[in-house]
Amino acid sequence: MSQLKYLVIYLSLLAALVLMILPLPDWVQIYRPNWIALTLIYWSMALPKRVGLWFAFFTGIILDTSLGTLLGQHTLPLLLIIYINLNLYQRIRVLALAQQAIYILVLLLIDQVIVGWVEGILGRPPPLLTFFAAPFIGMLIWPWVFVILRDIRRKALLR
Amino acid sequence: MKTIIEVRGATLQALFLIVFSIAMMVVDHRFQHLEIVRTNISLALSPLRYLVSLPATGGNWLNDWFTSHTELLEENESLKAEGRILSARLQKLEILMEENARLRNLLGSSRKIADEVIVAELLSVDQNPYSQLIEINKGSSDGVEMGHAVIDDFGIMGQVIHVNPQSATIILISDPEHAIPVQFIRSGTRSVAFGRGSTRQLELRYLPATADIMVDDELVTSGLGGRFPPDYPVARVTAISEDKVRGFVSVLAEPKARLDSSREVLVIKPRQ
Repeated sequence: MSQLKYLVIYLSLLAALVLMILPLPDWVQIYRPNWIALTLIYWSMALPKRVGLWFAFFTGIILDTSLGTLLGQHTLPLLLIIYINLNLYQRIRVLALAQQAIYILVLLLIDQVIVGWVEGILGRPPPLLTFFAAPFIGMLIWPWVFVILRDIRRKALLR
Repeated sequence: MKTIIEVRGATLQALFLIVFSIAMMVVDHRFQHLEIVRTNISLALSPLRYLVSLPATGGNWLNDWFTSHTELLEENESLKAEGRILSARLQKLEILMEENARLRNLLGSSRKIADEVIVAELLSVDQNPYSQLIEINKGSSDGVEMGHAVIDDFGIMGQVIHVNPQSATIILISDPEHAIPVQFIRSGTRSVAFGRGSTRQLELRYLPATADIMVDDELVTSGLGGRFPPDYPVARVTAISEDKVRGFVSVLAEPKARLDSSREVLVIKPRQ
């Protein structure tokens, strides 16, 4: 039973993965926020002992396979932002949601820059301006992600 | 509070995993060793993929269901007419093929004429907006192999770059990483068409300024390089721009295949 409740974490990541690979029209595609990163950041902030680097690593590999990107292209930035988060979570947790959102924006931008950088190395540099739209969308929806996941966590009695 | 040792341990772990994922990217980019990891994970995730493709499939199904009777009758009529025209053309084609085979025999050439095909359906379109990959519902268990060419009713779409047991990934000719050897039907000039990341455009770079090219010229596969079978339609020239300084022309062409809207595709198996 004590292990069963952690299933919630996996289920929420699975839901995030579905949102990541749900087919959308091309023009909406570039504004798709990084649901996986948002969900991972939340859990590593709430349960840093449980959701850490290894979690980020395996989630990243699954994300890379589903998106058809290089194995590691999304893993590397996820590792980086989760590492940053593991060092800062105690200070971030006490901030107001709006302030947290700015922190989230920074993390998502780091993620996006690395993904775009690798695309550039592979010879298909992404369009400059629209490429950075997704992290801003991610910042805007963070409060909702936070509240929803927090309620789920409380219902599942995770602490 | 965290102790120093805990922090240091996490840093080491992070460094190790980051270096590991960089190494993984390099290996994945250069070699094929990680294919097995990819195959297994995508196999495990295939129910998810199916789930995600449900809304689109359901939409199509509903559409089919509600197509009215008269529309079906009309469609039936026009299909019958089309069938008659096609069969008339086919008769001519058969005669031509026989003649062609006879002439080739005379010439002592042993080029194959018909290729074997596998009919497949589109499963999903790759979600990475910066590359152009599609997924089809036939895989190694149906005989699809890496490198097979993929066409739709109008022309070449791309080639197989990754095979799972029940599905395969196709790179479209419009992917920026893809290049296809082509030939102009009218003049016979050979070139290579590069993808530009848009499903409407291919680019032929560095053609000599003296090359005989006109707008509306048709491009077919040249068969050089051995990946694509020869003489399949690829694209139509839409624009020619001259680089006066360097003496090159750069040509833009529109792919014949409906890269963004075809649902049924054919995988061509080269004859052994």
